[in-house]
Amino acid sequence: MAADSTLSLGGALRAASGVVASSLPLLIIGCLLYAAFFIKWEPEISQLQAPAIERRDVFYGVAAPGASVVWAVGSYGKIVRSDDGGEHWTIQSTPAAVHLQAISAWDADRAVVVGNAGDVLVTSDGGRNWRSVDVPRSEIANKLLQVRTLPNGIAWAVGEVGAVLRTQDYGAHWRRVLEEKDQAWNDIFLLGADGWMVGEFGAMLRTRDGGESWSPKSGPLKSSLMSVRFRDPENGVAVGLSGAVLVTHDGGDNWLEQPRVTREHLNSVLWDGKRWIAVGDKGVRLIGSEDGTRWQGGRISDKDLSWRTQIIAVGERYYLAGSNLAQLEGDQLHIYGRD
Amino acid sequence: MKNKTFKALEHFIDLILKYRVIVLVVIAGITAVMAYLAGHIAVKTVFSDLLPKNHPYVEVNNRFKQTFGGSNMVSIMLEVEKGDVFDMTVLRKVQQITQSLQKVEGVDTYQIISLASKKVKEVRASTEGIESRPLMWPNLPTDDAEIAVLRESVLNNPLVYGPYVSIDMKATLITADFTDSEVDYFKAYRQIKEIVDNARGDGVLVRVVGEPILYGLVNFYLTETIQIFAVTVSALVLLLLLITRTWHGTLLPLTTGAVSAIWALGAAKLMGFHLDPLVIVVAFLITAQAVSNSVQLVSRFEDEVANGAPSTKAAARVSLLNLFKPGMLAVVADAGCVLVVALTPIPMLEKISYIGTAWILSIMISALVLTPVLLSYCRLEKRYAHPIDILPALRWILNLCSAVVTSRARYGVVIGAVAVFAISALYAFNLKVGDANPGSPILWPDSAYNQDATAINNKFQGSDRMFVVVGGRNEGDLKEPAVLESMERFQKYMEAQPEVGGSLSLADVLPAVKRVLREGNARYQEIGNTANENGELAYMFVSGTDPGDMDRFADPQAQNGSVTLFFRDHQGETIRTAIARVKDYVAQNPMEKADFMLAGGLIGVLAAVNEVILSGQIEAIAFALLVLVVCCTVTYRSMVAGVFFMIPVMLSNTLTFSYMAWKGIGMNINTLPVVALGIGLGVDYTFYIVDGIREELHHHRDVGRAIAKSIASAGKGVLITALTLITSVVLWSFSSLRLQADMGVLIAIWLSISAASALFLMPALVYLFQPEFIVGSKRHPIELAPDAEPVPVPTA
Repeated sequence: MAADSTLSLGGALRAASGVVASSLPLLIIGCLLYAAFFIKWEPEISQLQAPAIERRDVFYGVAAPGASVVWAVGSYGKIVRSDDGGEHWTIQSTPAAVHLQAISAWDADRAVVVGNAGDVLVTSDGGRNWRSVDVPRSEIANKLLQVRTLPNGIAWAVGEVGAVLRTQDYGAHWRRVLEEKDQAWNDIFLLGADGWMVGEFGAMLRTRDGGESWSPKSGPLKSSLMSVRFRDPENGVAVGLSGAVLVTHDGGDNWLEQPRVTREHLNSVLWDGKRWIAVGDKGVRLIGSEDGTRWQGGRISDKDLSWRTQIIAVGERYYLAGSNLAQLEGDQLHIYGRD
Repeated sequence: MKNKTFKALEHFIDLILKYRVIVLVVIAGITAVMAYLAGHIAVKTVFSDLLPKNHPYVEVNNRFKQTFGGSNMVSIMLEVEKGDVFDMTVLRKVQQITQSLQKVEGVDTYQIISLASKKVKEVRASTEGIESRPLMWPNLPTDDAEIAVLRESVLNNPLVYGPYVSIDMKATLITADFTDSEVDYFKAYRQIKEIVDNARGDGVLVRVVGEPILYGLVNFYLTETIQIFAVTVSALVLLLLLITRTWHGTLLPLTTGAVSAIWALGAAKLMGFHLDPLVIVVAFLITAQAVSNSVQLVSRFEDEVANGAPSTKAAARVSLLNLFKPGMLAVVADAGCVLVVALTPIPMLEKISYIGTAWILSIMISALVLTPVLLSYCRLEKRYAHPIDILPALRWILNLCSAVVTSRARYGVVIGAVAVFAISALYAFNLKVGDANPGSPILWPDSAYNQDATAINNKFQGSDRMFVVVGGRNEGDLKEPAVLESMERFQKYMEAQPEVGGSLSLADVLPAVKRVLREGNARYQEIGNTANENGELAYMFVSGTDPGDMDRFADPQAQNGSVTLFFRDHQGETIRTAIARVKDYVAQNPMEKADFMLAGGLIGVLAAVNEVILSGQIEAIAFALLVLVVCCTVTYRSMVAGVFFMIPVMLSNTLTFSYMAWKGIGMNINTLPVVALGIGLGVDYTFYIVDGIREELHHHRDVGRAIAKSIASAGKGVLITALTLITSVVLWSFSSLRLQADMGVLIAIWLSISAASALFLMPALVYLFQPEFIVGSKRHPIELAPDAEPVPVPTA
């Protein structure tokens, strides 16, 4: 009896191990087939974090309201800000999806941005929140091309179809200052009560009363002027397409065309306290003497052929907006977002 | 029942030995016919054979490759050592190459793009309106002023400056696409090489890459491949002669291999298949099987003769009688394992699988019929071909095996095997699907081709392309600003991946035209505000030029457009990340009027391949194991036999995968044929050993002694085969094609694992577990043969 039971126990064990051994191959095969048919070999999407500034980003405007704060705006509603002089950039979320053309800041907290389709954005908290504001619009076209802030919450925006808009409350409300016309204004610059505007077809406007009234000035050119700057109420420079450089010594009543040193478009001109600097297409940079009569051409860097729409100076350093966002210190051009 | 089969087998063997002349004549006749057919088999690479059937990416590729650029793109880079490419010497070379490419066979003449092609245009505003004209066609610039104008136009044109002239202006690119159905890689390679060689010199470096060049190179090395094959076979002969010391021991296995190969290639020709030069290594793999089966028979034959067989005919008869079952099992199981590879939906694998199956099945005739018949003609007295005798060394190894297996060391063997299996199974997860490294894995990293590829990918955005089709729901939808903007955002999203060097689409073309229309004002380099405006911009771009110039960006109905992404490499990881990112973008940004369709171009189809091969391979392994289990279960009437014989197969697969992971050999379209056909290998030798043990147990009940006997007899054959094949296969390392060297090593690994598990692991397992199907049990004892020695009875 006892022998019988041990035998049957052994038999049961043997049978059990036999069952396991027999089913093992089917189990293994089954698992493999399951893996082959049902497990999707999706890659571990190494979630690529796109950098704040990407290769394809285009920046049209840049502003630096302090020694270390830099803002730049560009394609598809992009606004980036750096609080450490361009070392690190962060993307600020905006309600806009259009290309943003220009930015200007009252201080490190308050700034205004203009762009395509008449979009205007303002912030009062350093860009943590950007708010879209309504502006008077044209039936025809509404691209705003430039914006300038002035003390006391005043700002001017100019653009297509003769748009000249002004705010006096840090961008909350905007009023059309001049009638619509079939000509775009590309730039506006004010220095105290004196102000100048340049635009398509070489058009120019001049104010002596802080923008209350504007009078046209006839310039020597019929091609578009892109940018205007004055170092004092008398001495100014305007630049434009095909390397055009105009200089005035009488507050803009008379403009003298300078011999062209480049055929490239010039998009932005700047007085940095010592000299005139203009930038434009294909990496060109012009440096002009104090009186604006001697200009020297060339590229910022031989290897850089990017177009630029704006240059600003912060101390010894320059920031450049255009087909990329760059910083220039001495002869060192550093393009953000590139190796 | 069993005796009945046995009787039938005996009868069959008697029959073929009786009519051995007729058998020989018939086999010789068939071989002659097959040899004629095999001589006419085409050796070539057909790229479309590599692409998975019915895969959506491949369908998109096939639908749009004519216009958006297929996978057969050749890129030629001209790089100057000094100065820049705006130099008459360089420009003239660009023009010459561009013109010569027109004459290359199979080239799509509408898809040759360079500075000198009619398609590369600039759009400019002039006093007469908008003008769109070729940059440098039909004439070269004539003086410095015209060169300066050309330079300006190039720098101004984002479609040229960057994609076709490098940012540092030191290099320019010429690309040519081939019509898939007409391309002959070898011809294309030779013709392009001639063009490129002519253009070298004068301080200009010329580099060339592309699939046609790559596969052309493989064909170029065909002669070398055949030479290596011949050297390998010679080495095999020498080694066999060295070890067996007899001519029949050398020539019979060789004859078996040759006859099988001829039959298989002839059958391939009959089935209408061609041979891919890259998979010639596979031929060696299967030949190894044929040789091993034949060596077993010869080795057994010699044992029988030594044991005093009355005649060679009788010795041949007994050998075949005893080895028929394991031999047949090995052939059928192997053939089944190779046949299941056909389930992977890649036409080339299917073809290789059929050829391989036919090849292995032919071993039935070449080894199991031809070898014994030829053996029967041998003489009884042994005549050595040379005086060197290494058999004692072999015997020493075999004795070592027996000693290890029957001593306590067997636990070490089994534990070691378990450990190796566990570690290699885990490590195998590091195996990369797709290419594991930049550059082509077919060639050595320092090959000219791979260096050229690196250089081009450094200068330009990337030579490997993928196109994603943006398909509008209706005609004209592609002109919608929302669609174009989504395309541009998609490009930006994709370019965040470092391996994506750049991208190109209609959304890049139209803004450039709009900027020209707006006095070149950069602030207007943007997509038009309305569908109508975009239509006008597109019209401006093509006006006054050939219809069809817009084709690489969009179809004439503006319904389907392409986004071309340039990749710096085609590693598996790069491709998978890119595809996952495309899907991610599409999921997050649904479009109202259009859909994104994946994916064409080389990267697109490689993505498809990579998606199917891993699951295909696992599926093939599963079915191969199933075939094996079924074969073994039926043969031995025991499921345990199934699991028992799975062990060496699983071990060889995990070890192979681990080796590939360790050496950075990716599982890709080129390695797959060898890897897939190797799945079922690794078990044949075990069949002979285990069957030898079982057969021996018909004579007595001492398992240890049976194992020792089997190892001494069948093990000798295993050792001879393994030694000769492994040594010969090492010769593949000298190949100019890295792939063949890698695959040679893989085959060597398989053979080593097979031999090691047959000689050490499996006998140890038999001794340890004494499985019923081998040693019998109380209920099913192994019947003792009538002439069995008496069971040793313990004497009182």
